[in-house]
Formats: sequence, C-alpha cells, structure tokens
Amino acid sequence: MIGEVSHFFSILASGLFFLSFVFSIRTYSGNHNLEVLVSRVFSYGFSFILISFLLYVWLAIQSDFSIRYIAEHSNKDLPTFYKISSIWSAHEGSMFLWILFLAGWSQLFNYSLSKNDLLKAPAIGVLAFIIFGFLIFLLFTSNPFETILPIAPTNGADINPVLQDPALVIHPPFLYLGYVGFVIAFAYNTAFLIKGDMQINWESVIRSWSLAAWILLTIGISLGSWWAYYELGWGGYWFWDPVENVALMPWLAGTALIHSLYVSSRSKVLRGWTILLSISVFSLSLFGAFIVRSGIIDSVHAFANDPQRGLYLLAFSAVLITSSLTFYVYRLPQLVSKNLVVAKSKESFLTINNILFAAAIFAVMLGVMYPLIFDYLYDERISVGPPYYNTIFAPLTFLASAFLVFSVGSLWQRSSKLFFLKSFLSMSIIFALIVTMFSVYFYQEYQWWFIGGIFSGFLILIRYFFLIVDSFMKKNYFNKSSATAHIGLGVLILATTLNAALSYEKIINIKPGETYKGDAYEFFLIDFDLINESNYDSVQAKFSVKPIDSPKEVFFMFPEKRKYFIRGQITSESAIKITPLKDIYMTLGDQLESGYWVVNIQYNFLIRWIWIAAAIMCFGGFTALIERLRKS
Amino acid sequence: MKNLLRFFILIIPIGGILFFYNILTEDKFYPGASFKNTSVPQFELLSLQSKSPLINDDLNNEMLLNVWASWCITCRIEHGFLMKLKSEGITITGLNYKDEASDAIDWLNLYGNPYNYNLHDLKGSLALDMGVTGAPETFLIKNGVVLVHYSGEVNQAIWDKVFLPIIQDNEMFK
Amino acid sequence: MKRIILLSFIFLSSVSFSSEVYIFKSKADERRFYELIHEVRCPKCTSGSIASSNAPVSEDLKIKIAELINEGYSNKEIKDYARARFGNEVLYDPEINSTTLFLWFGPFLFLAIVFLGFIFRRKIG
Repeated sequence: MIGEVSHFFSILASGLFFLSFVFSIRTYSGNHNLEVLVSRVFSYGFSFILISFLLYVWLAIQSDFSIRYIAEHSNKDLPTFYKISSIWSAHEGSMFLWILFLAGWSQLFNYSLSKNDLLKAPAIGVLAFIIFGFLIFLLFTSNPFETILPIAPTNGADINPVLQDPALVIHPPFLYLGYVGFVIAFAYNTAFLIKGDMQINWESVIRSWSLAAWILLTIGISLGSWWAYYELGWGGYWFWDPVENVALMPWLAGTALIHSLYVSSRSKVLRGWTILLSISVFSLSLFGAFIVRSGIIDSVHAFANDPQRGLYLLAFSAVLITSSLTFYVYRLPQLVSKNLVVAKSKESFLTINNILFAAAIFAVMLGVMYPLIFDYLYDERISVGPPYYNTIFAPLTFLASAFLVFSVGSLWQRSSKLFFLKSFLSMSIIFALIVTMFSVYFYQEYQWWFIGGIFSGFLILIRYFFLIVDSFMKKNYFNKSSATAHIGLGVLILATTLNAALSYEKIINIKPGETYKGDAYEFFLIDFDLINESNYDSVQAKFSVKPIDSPKEVFFMFPEKRKYFIRGQITSESAIKITPLKDIYMTLGDQLESGYWVVNIQYNFLIRWIWIAAAIMCFGGFTALIERLRKS
Repeated sequence: MKNLLRFFILIIPIGGILFFYNILTEDKFYPGASFKNTSVPQFELLSLQSKSPLINDDLNNEMLLNVWASWCITCRIEHGFLMKLKSEGITITGLNYKDEASDAIDWLNLYGNPYNYNLHDLKGSLALDMGVTGAPETFLIKNGVVLVHYSGEVNQAIWDKVFLPIIQDNEMFK
Repeated sequence: MKRIILLSFIFLSSVSFSSEVYIFKSKADERRFYELIHEVRCPKCTSGSIASSNAPVSEDLKIKIAELINEGYSNKEIKDYARARFGNEVLYDPEINSTTLFLWFGPFLFLAIVFLGFIFRRKIG
C-alpha cells in the first residue's frame, strides 16, 4: 500500500517538474508572471519527490519484501543502517537517490536565489527538464517500485557482503552530491546562453555552488579510494579502472571550472573556457552514468546489462549535451573577450591551467575509449591500464606544478617579473633541486618520474612556505584557501611519488609455528582461529609481528578469509598496521595441500598521506567557500 | 561560411553518440570464441588411465581437445553434448586440468567417457601454454593447428554457430 | 664450550622459518617480478592484475613469470609470452605501435595544438 503511494508521489512529481519546465519556456519571451509559477511548481515537485523517497526509506526499514528491489537487496537481519543503505546499493535505488539529490540541490538553489535574478526562471526550467528526464528513465526502465505479488518473499536476499561497510555506504551519497552540485552551474549557464545577455555576471552567482560541489566530489572520490584500499585486498588506492576514470573526469573538469570561474567572475576574460568547462562537468557526469549503468564496460562496479537502459541514457544525454554545446557554439563569438590576456598575469597562468586540465581530461577519455574503438575497428581487444595513465599524467602534473609555482605572486591583469635572481621563485627552484638531488642519492632512485615528482612536490611546498612566511612578516594579504589547497596538492604529489617508489611486497608460504623474517619485521604465525558469525564463517590467522629495530614493540595482525552463507561469496579481509611512514598490509591467500598458507605482505609507504593530502585540499576549498558565503 | 565554421566542432559529440549507439545495438558475437590460428605447443604428458607417455605426434589429425576436470560443475552439464558428438564420430581428446587422476577416472566411470584418451595435465602447464583460463574450454585442432579456441560450455547452439562453419570450411570430420 | 655451541645450534634450528614463495637471484629480478605481475591482467577476472587475483590461472601465470625471470628472459620476452597465449588484452600496457600512436601521443598533441592556438590568437590580436 505504502509502495503504491510512494510510486504515485514520484509520478506526480514528474508531472510537476514537466509543468515547471513548460512554464519556463514561456518566460523567454518575456512573460514575467510565469516566473514565480516556475519556481513554485518546482518547489511542489521537490516536496513530492522527497515524500516519495522518505516513504521508500520507510518501506526499506520495515523490510517490505513485496517490493522487488528491496527483496533483492535487503534482508530482515540487517541493521537498520544497512537496510537504508541497501537502497543505493544497486541501479534502480541509486538512481532514485541521484534524482532526490538533484531535486534537493535544485530546490536549495530555487529557494536561495533572488526572484529578481534574470536567469532564475530559465535555469529552474532547465533543472526541471533534467529531473523530469531522469524520473521518466527511473519509472519506465528502472522502476524501484516494482512489486512481487501476490506472494511476497518472507525474507530478502542479502546485500553483497562487500557492500556492508560504513565507508561504502557514504561513498555514493557524497559522490552524487558532488555531481549534482555541478548541475546547478550547467543549468544556470545554459539559461545564460539561451538568453544571450552578455552583461549578466552568471559566474559570480555560480562560484559558491560549484565550490561546494567540488568539495563534496573530492570527498566522495577519496572515500572510494580509501574503501578500495582496505576492503578489496589488493592494497592499492587507485587502479585507473574505467569506472574510477569516469568519476575522475568530472572532477578534473570541476577543478578547472572553479579556477576558471575565479577569473571570469572578476574580469570578462576566459568566459569561453568557463562555460565550456561548466558544460563539460555535467556532460562528463552524464557520460559516467551512461558507462556505468549501460554495462558497456565490464568493471568492478558496473551495474546492469540492459540495452534499453543504455539506449535511454544515451538518448537523454545526447539531447542535453548536444543542445547545450549548440547554444555554446552559437554564442561563442559574443563570449570571447575583446581584451587579450596579459602575458605572465594571473589570468594567463589560469588559462594555461585550463589547457593542462583539458589535456588531462583528454588523456583519460582516450584511455577509456580506446579499447572500445579498437575492438570496434579491428575486432581485437586491448587493455589500457595504469602503465598508460601514469606515464601520461606524470609529465602533465609536473608541468602544472611548474606553472602553479610561476603563478604565485602574479598579478591580475598585469605582468610581473618572474625570474629575477633573488626572487622567491628562483630560491624555491634551487632548494627544490637540492632536496631532489639528495632524495635521488639517498633512495638510489633514478627514474624520471621519481625525479620529476620529488622536484614538483617540493617546489610547490617550498614556494608556498616562502609565501606564507613573507606575507606573515610583512603583514600582507595572501589567499589562504588557495595556499592550503595547493599545499595539499604538493603533499599529494610527494606522497604518490614516494609511495610508488618505496613500496614493495613479498609473497610467502607459512604455517602455524613458523616465523618469516622480513627486512624490518619478523612475522610469527601463532595459529588460526575459526570464527562463526551470523552471516559468515571465517578463518582468521593470528600473527605476532616484531619490529627488528625495536623488539619490545610487538603488535598483532589478523588477516582473515570469510565465506558468506547466503551468496557463498568468499572475501579476503586484509590486516593493516598503520605506522607514521607506512602501512603494513597483509592478505591471506590460498591454503596449500601441505598445510602451508600463502600470505601476501605489502609495505605501502606514505599511503595515508595521500588521503591526508586530499583532506587538506578539501579544507582549502572549504575555507574558500566560507569566505565566499561570508562576502555575499 | 566562416561564421558557421565553428559549428563543425559538434561533429565530435555527435560522432561519439553514434558510436555508442552502434555498440549498444550491434549483435555481440560470442565473446568466448577465438579464431586465432596457433600451433599446439610441444608437450609431454601421461595418459590419464594407461599412464603411458603422450606427445604431440600422438594427437589425431582432426580432433577436439576438451579441457575438463572432476571439480568443474559446468563440465558435467557439457558432458551430455560431448557424448552426442562422440556418437557422431567426432574424435574428442580430453585435457584433464589440475585434477587428481583418481578423481578424474572415478568421474568418467560414473558419467561416461566421451574421450578417446586423456592428457593428464596435473600442473596445468600445457593448459597455460595454450591460453586456458579455466574449464570447460574446447579446441578444434587440425594437423596440430588450433582453428578454434572456445571458452565456456559447448552446446548445440554454440556448436552450430561457432564450430560448424570452421569445420565445413576446412572439410573436417568427413 | 664446544658442547654449548653445538646445543645452541640444535636449539636454534628448531625455530622454523618460512620462506618466500618466489625466489630470485637478485633484488633487481625480484623487483621486476613484482612490477610485472601488476602489469599483467588476470585473464579470468573482469578487471585487476594477476597480483591481486588468486584465480588458478593467475597463480599459474605468476609461477611461470617467476620461472622465466630466473631463466633470464627479459621483460619484453615475458610479456610476449603472455600475449601469445592470452591475447593483447592481457597486458595493461598498450605498447607503442602504429595502431596506438594516437593513444600515446594524442594528449601531448592536444596540448601542443591548444597551446599554439592560444599563442597564435595573441599574435593576431
């Protein structure tokens, strides 16, 4: 019964969003009375979709297994937390969540934007159209309300055990919040393009929204990386999997966007870039949704394999992307500024920044598309993986770091001397060179990417060190948020470089009572425990680990292998010991006939610092957002 | 004309959309089938039941090589079809993959033996050399050259669509 | 004195040490191994290298690669070995040849073109 009501509210919401969109079209011809109506109808649409979703959550908590989706992904014995999160554990439900967030952000925008804003009604109309399109997709091809009647199962299937994890529960919500935040920018700039009034400073309206979205998206991606590290058992933090890549591309575009918005909102240059980036972020999110949900690429995450869904998403994305790009190309001559960017001004460096980010996005897109195109043309399969992406990204990152450091202290719309002898820039270069040479010698690492990574990372950190100390002593203003975020970037470059260079692993055979003597630790396998939990059985190894340098500080590690009853799935739970400089990461392999077990021991250097760096960048973004909101 | 030049950039997204449309709607041919011609690698294995040594020259000129094991559940499903092929006169040699000899022999005694003989590949070394990733897999071999390598269960539909055309082209099993 | 030394030897030898599964002649070889197993894709999994998979074929490939390294084969020869048996798609590194030129050089070409366009526009304006 409640399921029917929830379904009904979703249908009503679609109708209201469609109405809001239709009204918005009339406002382009100057019908101002309709503007208020557009906004109000949209609000009702939001309320209805919210009610629908809340009722659905209730159904999940109540374990209503007459609803097919809930029966397939939830279970009576799950804690309430996981009953709720099972909603977004698969395609239909996660689509529903996506739409809710889309409506929520849009409603926030609807509510907070002044009704005198010239672009408000058209923008809300665009948002309404987008939500309507996704709702139709949901209701017709991916219906979460489908019922199993007349006899509902007494208990549901279980969630994939791999998904019963706190980090994985919040990873999709953060990710979706990030993506949909950028839809605001997309809708607002589409309205701008259609309206055609070049005087409107749409950029300054959008800055805070995009910044907030960027922070959430960064958190979402970092959570995914962190979860993959401790849960999946391979000990890495980024695999350049197609699904990771389609999440990365919007993030790259979004990062470039927030930088470009900064420029365009101050002076009317780079407008062409900014709008193109804004269209790109949302288009790339659509592309990502299409790739993941159409099943075109087999991957760890890919949801479904239904051509109907793929075709609808393709068609809908095609409409949104081509129409926005058409408006863009149409208005391009008016958008491009008559004034040129001054050489060595801040604007010039941010232009180069845009170009470098565009190249990075292009590289990832190539890597994702190449196997598809290759298979289509030559009927042969190739794989494009980490070796490709790492090789391409490294030089791009080094270039970006160089230009970042050049840009520190640059001025708006004016040139400034860069390379004079006693400048901070020259000093930073010299210090970074010294540190690099020392590191190369100390670690005996001569690979090009190591040298480039150490140099770039330290160059950034040293340059900002000078900036902070100098500004502090002279009591000058400097952009603290930007400094924080870029210091985070420097840390990220150093952490990833050192992690790649210094980490190593060993695969060993061991049985209870034996000791493995590594380079820095002695691992003693005490015994195995058999553990019986309510939904799985597990074999847990008990290791006592003794650091060779400090034999008194023994600690324990418990890698295990679990077999979950309901799906018969076997998972490996890694044991991780966190030390300041590295993680010790142990995974239990297979048992051999001789009674020996294969164990994989990895030493992951500075891996925590990668997520710490992401957090620093987010913090920088966060302070920038607070400052923006305070100003307006 | 110069004004409209910039609209040509739209070719890129439209091209992409058409490309994906093509991929979504094309009939995917059988992903488990590979038609790359390679020679059967040199091997030296024991026969499963007679324990006598077997080498490349012992293979028939026209044959199927079927990768199977007693632990492989899908092989049990495929088994019925293999018996049918045997009754039609098709020579099938088995590659017993990572299986204890006693388990394999028991399995054959229980379910029936479609193989003229079996190569006992306990370590899976020949299998690895032939690009085997699991069981069941089937090779169509003529004069020591692999014409078809199929990963997965062979049933009537797969036989008709994947194997028969190649068999007819090469005038095999006459 | 000799007795004490002998006794302590016997005592020490009763502490059993486990060994590494893959033994190599040099640290460089060992490093090559661990690098290679991350570059070879698991032929049976939807995604992931043989390093992160314990499917039988992944285990066999790891053993084989270790053998080949100890027999003196180069990285290229080992990759050719895998490729000949499992197809191009088993390598995560698409090698640079006539069909993959655009993949490898495309991004830098893109960078150059856009950057030149930027400079060019300034020269005109």
